[in-house]
Amino acid sequence: MKFPSPSSAEAVIAVSGLSRHFGPKAALDDVSVFVPRGSVFGLVGENGAGKTTLIKHLLGSLKAQTGSVRVFGLDPVLDPVGVLGRVGYLSERRDLPSWMRVGEFMRYTQAFYPGWDEQYAGQLLEQFQLDPAQRIKTQSQGQQAKTGLLTSLAYRPDLLILDEPSSGLDPVVRRDILEAIIRMVAEEGRTVLFSSHLLDEVERVADHVIMLQRGRVVLNGRTEEVRRGHILAVLAFAKPPAAAPVVAGAHAVAGYGSEWRVLFGGSRLELETAAASVGARVVEERTPTLDEILVARAGGKGS
Amino acid sequence: MHVGRLAWRTPTGAMLWEIWGRHKLSFLWQGAALAASVFFAQWKEHGASKDVAPLLIMASCICFLGAYLYLLTSFAYIEVDARRVQLGFPGRLLLKPLSTARLVLAPMLFGGLVIVTVFAIWTELVLRHFGSVATSDLLLISAVLLSFFWWMQALAWSLPLLKGRVLVLLVVGLIHLLVAIPPQMPVRISSGCQWRILAALLVSAVPAAWIGLKGMREGRWEGPSRISVLWGRLGSARAQGARKSFGSAFGAQFWLEWRRQGLLLPGISGGMALLMVPGILTGLKWLGAGAGPQDEIQRMMLILPLLVLPLVLSLLMGSALARFDPLHSMGELPLYIAVRPMTNGGFVTAKLAMALATSVLTWLVMTAAFLCVALMGKETLLSKAGLVTPYGPVAFITGCVPGLLLLVIWTWRNLVAGMGAGLTGRTWIIVAFIFSRVLLLDALILLVATAASNVNFRQALLHWLTGILTVCLAAKLAVSIAAFAWGLRRNAITARAVGWIAGGWSVCGLLVAGYAGRVCNSIRQPDLWIWVALGGLLILPLADLAIAPLALAWNRHR
Repeated sequence: MKFPSPSSAEAVIAVSGLSRHFGPKAALDDVSVFVPRGSVFGLVGENGAGKTTLIKHLLGSLKAQTGSVRVFGLDPVLDPVGVLGRVGYLSERRDLPSWMRVGEFMRYTQAFYPGWDEQYAGQLLEQFQLDPAQRIKTQSQGQQAKTGLLTSLAYRPDLLILDEPSSGLDPVVRRDILEAIIRMVAEEGRTVLFSSHLLDEVERVADHVIMLQRGRVVLNGRTEEVRRGHILAVLAFAKPPAAAPVVAGAHAVAGYGSEWRVLFGGSRLELETAAASVGARVVEERTPTLDEILVARAGGKGS
Repeated sequence: MHVGRLAWRTPTGAMLWEIWGRHKLSFLWQGAALAASVFFAQWKEHGASKDVAPLLIMASCICFLGAYLYLLTSFAYIEVDARRVQLGFPGRLLLKPLSTARLVLAPMLFGGLVIVTVFAIWTELVLRHFGSVATSDLLLISAVLLSFFWWMQALAWSLPLLKGRVLVLLVVGLIHLLVAIPPQMPVRISSGCQWRILAALLVSAVPAAWIGLKGMREGRWEGPSRISVLWGRLGSARAQGARKSFGSAFGAQFWLEWRRQGLLLPGISGGMALLMVPGILTGLKWLGAGAGPQDEIQRMMLILPLLVLPLVLSLLMGSALARFDPLHSMGELPLYIAVRPMTNGGFVTAKLAMALATSVLTWLVMTAAFLCVALMGKETLLSKAGLVTPYGPVAFITGCVPGLLLLVIWTWRNLVAGMGAGLTGRTWIIVAFIFSRVLLLDALILLVATAASNVNFRQALLHWLTGILTVCLAAKLAVSIAAFAWGLRRNAITARAVGWIAGGWSVCGLLVAGYAGRVCNSIRQPDLWIWVALGGLLILPLADLAIAPLALAWNRHR
């Protein structure tokens, strides 16, 4: 699998050898990520895998203990104005000023971004059906997410970072948010990095995917390449094994009796060789979804 | 239920452990403050001269009051519901399988026991050394404290259910004030009546809390009060009318700061002044229009609380100024602030500007209160009183302007002095800062007390005072320059912001020094000038402000 590097394209995000410890726990361990301009990166992983920690480093909320973080070639800790002025951010925490009205929050945010597009903000306000006179604290969760997204999109940031944007939202709001992101990317070729547990969203929107596991990058590549790099197969054994068979290259093995489901990382040929080595043959196979890959890898705990 | 290393067998135990778990660090500080209070009392008792005794009593009381107020809030079991923006019982406990009676009784009885016990211990160890206090008075004060504590809990837990809640708060507060009037005051209710009212308050507090909490658990909240609905409608209309954009990011940030905290100090000062003015007018009328020196002093003593009020309030509110959003916990920088493209110095400058604006507004309100007193009590205050100089009221008012300016600067200084600690977002630093200021104050009192009682020490101190103050000022300047330089190097502050802060400090310093010179000349003590000027320059915050952007950077980029 080919890992994108700074030489492959102009990197909007360049994280190199980043490690972060909270006490004895390693939240990020030697993470290197390069996000080229105009791409949509999906950041996936279990809870506590380090997704939010990585995003906080990109925003300058956390300082790199080792390694380096560059966004647009700048250090977000040393030059927050230079970085944050070009970044739109929406957090799963919906940390908004609850006492403000939507209109007030828009005016407040507008003041920080010279590129604020009033016409576009008006369009989004209408599209999201938000009332500018409503107080944020009286909004539903979905309305708050839309308010946050509106104020992150209206100045057309060069980089949009979304941390679990659809967490806790109903399918209608999720669709609205995704459509807004897709339109932004399709029409203007902006760069997007978003983390999500909903891997069908990632598959739909992201052209690259990064999978974190216990603070380490375990997968990084084009979404289709990542999927095609795995095979979900059913292996048939002539004689049912007494315990789960150990298949080299398999991230997860599940089943019973003579038929076992295997999520295999490798080519068709490698799968057949591995199956033969344990006395089995491949009777069924297909390309797994990202969801299946994440579950298998998370279940395998870093195998 | 296992909590930490302790195995609590009952939910009540777990509820009480929560108080300990949350506040154990601050309990240490409170213990230290109480120990300091006892120390000053013991010193006063053993060997302190008569001149020093009042200072020691003051130091002891400051330590106790600071610790005791914190203790009241620690045991109150009151939390802020960030979504509804209101005080109340911790929401998570309302859903636990516990009877309402237990939820009410555990924090009320335990909290009540602690606050009465601590007061009793302090009375025994400290208060008795300050003079003879009748046991009946101590019992009365204890009962008032208990009743106040219980009603504070009952009202906070059931406020959303109460119609006309502002009125209820005022009535309960006023009843407690009436009951707490000490026997020495000319206007007070009879002792029997006091006890009957107190008994009624104490007996009714627990059922009131129970009814309120039960109502909350059953979802009998009827929505916001009519006043807040009306206020909301007015705000809605205002928001629809306000379509103008902010001129700059600084303007937007200043607006945010102003909306959150700008009206707090003028509002509270003005409200309290409104309550105090009738009392002052009554007192002035009672004193009459005598023009003797004693009359003047008594009149000044009556008006003094109006002067001191904003200064004390600003001192108390200073630590809260560092917060960007009062609904967030002390250590948390709201994300909607943290991700804005603004330098840390920019955020700090907006806070400083807001603090200045709120100080100016506060003193405009207080000037109105003074004018109110002067005009309404003109027969006793402005006609023959010594407040009017021989040069007439115009000269008097002109002379007051620099004084007013100094009061504005002093209020501003109180508001911003703790900003550096507050912006770090580290609770231990904030708590340590507050207590270090209390200790510093006590150390100064100690210094003055020793100087007053020991002639040799006084002479040595006065001999070296100019040198000590100069060294302190030099150290302050050195720290400030280093902090500014570090901040500039780390992009935490812009050169322009440094210019504003340093320039503002220089102008205020010159004003303080100049005014000190005039005052010292007019009282024919020109030798005092250098001490007053150096002291003024030391009190004006500069190092705090230089450190503030770095403190915010430490919080914002963890």
